[in-house]
Amino acid sequence: MWRDLFQRHGALIVLAAVVVAAGAGLDGFLTAGNLDNVAVGASFLAVIALGMTFVIVTGGIDLSVGTVFALAGVLAAWASQYGSAAALLVPLVVCGAIGALNGALIARAGLAPFIVTLASMLGSLGLMLAVSREGTVTHLVPDGLALTPLVHGRLLGLVGHPVLLVVVLFAAGGVVLGRTRWGQYVYAVGGNEQSAALMGVPVGGVKAAVYTLSGLCAGLAGTLNAVWLGSGVTIFGIGTELEAIAAVVIGGTLLTGGYGFVAGTLAGVLLLKVVQNVINAVGGLSSAYQEVVSGLFLVVVVLAQKWLSRPGAAAPTAPHGPSGPARTGAP
Amino acid sequence: MNDTPEYAHPSPRSRPRLLTVAAACTLVLLATACARGEEPAGGGDGGGDTEGQAQVLDEAAAGDQTCAIDQYGGQGYDLSDVKVGFSQSEAESNPFRITETESIKAEAQERGVELITSNAQSDFSRQITDVQDLISQGAEVLIIAPLNSDGWKPVLDETRERGIPIITVDRAINGTACEDFVTFIGSDFAEQGRRAADKTIEALDGEGEVAILLGTAGNNVTTQRTEGFKERIGAEAPGIEIVFEQSGDFTREGGQSVTEQLVQSDPGIDAIYAQNDEMGIGAVTALEGAGKGPGDVAIVTVDGTRGAVEYIIDGWIHAVIESNPRFGPLAFEAAEAFGSGEEVGTNLIITDREYDASNAEAEVGDAY
Repeated sequence: MWRDLFQRHGALIVLAAVVVAAGAGLDGFLTAGNLDNVAVGASFLAVIALGMTFVIVTGGIDLSVGTVFALAGVLAAWASQYGSAAALLVPLVVCGAIGALNGALIARAGLAPFIVTLASMLGSLGLMLAVSREGTVTHLVPDGLALTPLVHGRLLGLVGHPVLLVVVLFAAGGVVLGRTRWGQYVYAVGGNEQSAALMGVPVGGVKAAVYTLSGLCAGLAGTLNAVWLGSGVTIFGIGTELEAIAAVVIGGTLLTGGYGFVAGTLAGVLLLKVVQNVINAVGGLSSAYQEVVSGLFLVVVVLAQKWLSRPGAAAPTAPHGPSGPARTGAP
Repeated sequence: MNDTPEYAHPSPRSRPRLLTVAAACTLVLLATACARGEEPAGGGDGGGDTEGQAQVLDEAAAGDQTCAIDQYGGQGYDLSDVKVGFSQSEAESNPFRITETESIKAEAQERGVELITSNAQSDFSRQITDVQDLISQGAEVLIIAPLNSDGWKPVLDETRERGIPIITVDRAINGTACEDFVTFIGSDFAEQGRRAADKTIEALDGEGEVAILLGTAGNNVTTQRTEGFKERIGAEAPGIEIVFEQSGDFTREGGQSVTEQLVQSDPGIDAIYAQNDEMGIGAVTALEGAGKGPGDVAIVTVDGTRGAVEYIIDGWIHAVIESNPRFGPLAFEAAEAFGSGEEVGTNLIITDREYDASNAEAEVGDAY
């Protein structure tokens, strides 16, 4: 079952190889400070990608998370003048509502996730520009906000608090997706919607829930990022969702739905960020190559997935859609 | 705080010839890479940063706050012994960014200083990790071209703790001078806006409708270029009305698409103020596409890139206010002086020239 092993842990294996190689070849890579910087820098994308994993496992996509992330940051910075509770609640409520709206339109009205979330992507961008008056006003997080030391703190002076939060969220996400009845429903909806419905899975409810969860995750990531940066930066937006999707796919989750795991997503996020760090550390390599390398990883992973899920290959343990007609001589 | 600005900087003109030659080579390369192959920049003395090109400080505009290393915290250093990190904000597809990076690199090479660089490709979270990576790699002095003025808390916390001096170029970081950063080197953007307004008023004879193509939101350049422009128009030309303001994100495509919308909704527009050359060139393309001819709409832009100055010669652009990106010499001088314990002004403002029909042809060689 080494194929299943690679599908599950491919990103982790590559990540380990990159870390070992970079640690051997680059001074200053394996220092606590550098690793913490990479991990904290990755944690905001990780939270977004966690929600995205659930969406993609149902066979959907959420393009709105990038601008929802930006909107949440601006809202959190704006609301932080009223205290930490407001800074947390306002963006979570708004972003949760955007996610719920996505879910309702996709589950109840039967619209395509791509179109619905594209619309809410643009809508959130507009809302963000409205709150920041076309981006001319940057709201600052006031000094002394109770949340600030919570986000900036380090456990034992080493591990940044956002990293701890990511570990907790991914552990919870892993349990929910892998060990609960609801998690099985998520897989079932992504595997085959009709059969899931026949088996009594509340398809609509599951879909509505995953998009709401994705909106909440993007909202939480944006809020944390705003507190981390000390201001509601307005120049985030389109692009982050693609990075999240890339991380999920590199992590072994199939874009066709029905198969995937949150641990892989975490490895995918870390892989993207470690590659960025390594390319920065290799002097003389233009940072433009980061995109090239990320793109290459994506192609390799998708090719591997295609090869692994070809008819006759050892099937992954979870259902992942009907298999195609038998072919011979597949690569 | 010291009352007198004691920042000792030799005039950039007295910089050794080697630098000039190095810079000339880069500029020649860049110039030949340009779409319209013009003859190489520079003239008589074979210099790259010729008198017309080198940045010159405006002593009057600088303000009198200074910063020395014992106020800022951290250890003194000899610039030739330390690693300098440079974080560029935007992709080098804009001549301003190309020239800026090349100027920093050429100066580092000239001085024999070890330089490590990164480019955030307009991604702000990436610029934060870029700068943290530069620190991890041992950068002891940072030169930063910030993408955004706010949002630097994680970096500033780290540099303050380690006493790493930050010199920001072209855009500012919002914070306290001599606490969060050592100095800002750049143009007086409000003055650029005021001068652009003067040129617009001159082109329109004080009467007409003008549209503003704004830069990227969230940084001091866009804000101040807008404020200065509006202030001068409001004070000097009540007959000029600002009817349209939209961001073209400092890109050529942005300037073009915003101008396309503009000429559809308001075909009678008299003037366009583009807050950088790239957007101004995009506006020319859009106007050409809409059937307008050179001079139908008076365009005033800021930067001084070769492409824009050539459009003055062609009659499309009325005037270009310069914003000089050759930050290398001044940035390294400031870093050197600061490391040796001297007082450095916290707000180093450079003087900018301007191009219009009267000098464009003669001085296009100074453009980048």
